[in-house]
Amino acid sequence: MKLQDKVAVVTGGTRGIGRAMVEALAREGAQVLFTYAHNDLLAGQIESELREQGLKAKGFKIDVRDFEKINQWKEEILIEFGGVDILINNAGIAKDKALMMMSREDWDEVIDTNLNGLFNFTRAFIVHFLKKKEGNIINISSVSGLIGLPRQVNYSASKGGMISFSKALAKEVAPYNIRVNVICPGFIDTDMTRKLREEYVRQMMPLIPLGRFGTVEEVARTALFLADETVSHYITGQVIRVDGGLTM
Amino acid sequence: MPAEKTLDTLRQELRKIVAEIGEISEEEIKDDANFIDDLGFDSMKALEVAAAIEKKYKIRISEEEIPKINSLVNVFKLLEKSLKN
Ligand SMILES: NC(=O)c1ccc[n+]([C@@H]2O[C@H](COP(=O)([O-])OP(=O)(O)OC[C@H]3O[C@@H](n4cnc5c(N)ncnc54)[C@H](OP(=O)(O)O)[C@@H]3O)[C@@H](O)[C@H]2O)c1
Repeated sequence: MKLQDKVAVVTGGTRGIGRAMVEALAREGAQVLFTYAHNDLLAGQIESELREQGLKAKGFKIDVRDFEKINQWKEEILIEFGGVDILINNAGIAKDKALMMMSREDWDEVIDTNLNGLFNFTRAFIVHFLKKKEGNIINISSVSGLIGLPRQVNYSASKGGMISFSKALAKEVAPYNIRVNVICPGFIDTDMTRKLREEYVRQMMPLIPLGRFGTVEEVARTALFLADETVSHYITGQVIRVDGGLTM
Repeated sequence: MPAEKTLDTLRQELRKIVAEIGEISEEEIKDDANFIDDLGFDSMKALEVAAAIEKKYKIRISEEEIPKINSLVNVFKLLEKSLKN
């Protein structure tokens, strides 16, 4: 097991890519602490499913937008679990529409969750990592943040911001042995992409050289690679695209 | 008086920690010298002092208290307070 004795925090860990990462990290022996915003039932279900397999995962209802609560929670878990080794900023939402139809709320909600959420969690844990002189931060952005996609100005801006944030921080904290990397998934089969209109999917499919949507497990395995310091210890500030070749 | 002796040792130990992290000699550190203005520390160095003290004395310095790590006297006060609690 690659992550024995490691403690990992995953935001937005109850569905889609987040859930796949929670399961993958737990299977490698990590104690996983995952967050979510709404569904308590689902979180409990994940906890008990993994517990039955002898794995360690615990869910916490913490909105990534709630800076105060995150900081309070951080203090509690640092005491309870003795520290955190890996932080994965994954929670994210999309509210796609043409700019001319986009309300101020649509803009704020996406920036607040995707970009401010990243600040909130990373700010909360950075002092712990700096003190330990060790830390591993993995941020889940999107190809939308690299190339921009129509009807996603809010989402593209938030995801592009995540990439720049990560590069700036990677340089800032590298002397403290803290790594910061980004994964940019392309079209992955999750609730988020199930909402896309069929027409849009038909248009995008020919642009993906591998000719299919990716799976959440494929993203999770990339996260595992970055989480495992024995294989990725010399990698920081990088943006890894898991997109079937869409943006090459 | 043993209690005073302990305080003295504490003071010496602290000076040693600060000197090591700041890469300066112990004599250079006046009790009230400001870490940033007088000794050329940056905020990360202050954090290193905090981490070193936490480890050595098995105490927790909260994030709000980190800005107080700005001189030997103040670090000493902080340590004294934490050790009492
Ligand atoms: N799917 C794709 O094709 C794709 C492509 C590129 C990038 N991404 C990125 O990958 C990440 C995960 O996407 P996904 O497709 O797996 O999404 P998803 O299936 O919609 O799941 C999102 C997860 O985030 C949680 N979440 C949402 N808002 C939150 C908040 N304010 N606070 C805490 N947790 C919150 C959700 O919990 P609740 O259900 O409790 O709200 C859920 O667990 C996102 O950052 C997304 O932008 C996805």
